[in-house]
Amino acid sequence: MLKPEDVLRAIAAARGDAVCVPTMTTAPAWRTLAPDDLSVTCVGFMGGASALGLGLALARPDRRVIVLDGDGSLLMQLGSVATIAGAQPRNLTHLLFKNGVYHTSGAQDIPGGLTVDFVLMAKGAGYRNAYAIKEPTEFKRRLPTMLTEEGPVLVELHTGLAEKTPMTDRGGLPFHRQIEALRTKLLRPRAS
Amino acid sequence: MPESIPASLIIDTLKDTFREARAWLAAEIAEPPRHTHLGWILSVPDTHQKTVLAALDKEPAIRVLTCATEDEATAIAAGLWLGGEPCALMIQHAGLYASVNTLRGVAIDGRVPAFYMIGLLSREKEKDPRESRHSMVRYCEPLLDTFGVPHARLEGPDDVHRIPEYFRLARERRGPAAVLVGLETI
Repeated sequence: MLKPEDVLRAIAAARGDAVCVPTMTTAPAWRTLAPDDLSVTCVGFMGGASALGLGLALARPDRRVIVLDGDGSLLMQLGSVATIAGAQPRNLTHLLFKNGVYHTSGAQDIPGGLTVDFVLMAKGAGYRNAYAIKEPTEFKRRLPTMLTEEGPVLVELHTGLAEKTPMTDRGGLPFHRQIEALRTKLLRPRAS
Repeated sequence: MPESIPASLIIDTLKDTFREARAWLAAEIAEPPRHTHLGWILSVPDTHQKTVLAALDKEPAIRVLTCATEDEATAIAAGLWLGGEPCALMIQHAGLYASVNTLRGVAIDGRVPAFYMIGLLSREKEKDPRESRHSMVRYCEPLLDTFGVPHARLEGPDDVHRIPEYFRLARERRGPAAVLVGLETI
């Protein structure tokens, strides 16, 4: 079993100039680990991180885009797995934090709980690669590859519950300010 | 009376609109993205605009991404906006209803200039859409009004200037804007 905060800490250290799209329970820890970086957090629009990450990946094929998704979140927009596979963005790494519950709303089981196989779904849809990781040593060993291999790649990370959720640790910039800040960093306005 | 709009006219207008968007971006930023295409259509296929979608298959200057849901299309539009890519969402009124939370959470709260082209499937030619006997036609403009989304009708070829106008408006107001395609395109 992986600890979400350890996973995120390792990603923050290894990401380079990748753009990251955290959602729900990955958001509070990510805000602390990467406070002023190339990220945009998706909270409140019901599973949109994977699609927003796809748009970023298509717009900026020169950069790696890493989606820090949740199993409950992805189920809300599961069709995005097919849309991503159809678009075949080579620079998209889709990391799925799988804990089997809607942690933010009180840890109710997701439909199907831990039996839902997102690796099979991603492979069936047409991702270039998809696999599951359950152990910290394997995660550390494979992390450099998952952040550089040709996408779209989905990695199902079997994690415990995060220490914080968007309900227990509110904060961070409002979404529109994150959008503006990231756009400014990516596009660099001309000096006036 | 409304008239059908030829697909070629809509596509030429979109190309001009995307060219203008790229020129605007080039004037604003240090290193504008360089792509061979002009922009993107994010589509959840709309019966009303099917001739446009068919013609876009042969149009290399515009990339078309078919999305599984309108929620996705709106979130993808936000990602494209972040990276400086112009796009238009081509959907149906029922798809607008299906994606209201993403319209709110991404386009409105995120201040993303999402530009929608919404087909009014089943709109009666002789009736104002607000008086349609079909709820999916009747509720479209009131819904957009409720969310403060500016919109205009494309009631014939003379209205295509609304496409660049509302695309520009979305960018200027940093939020969504929509044009409503009144009759099936030809």
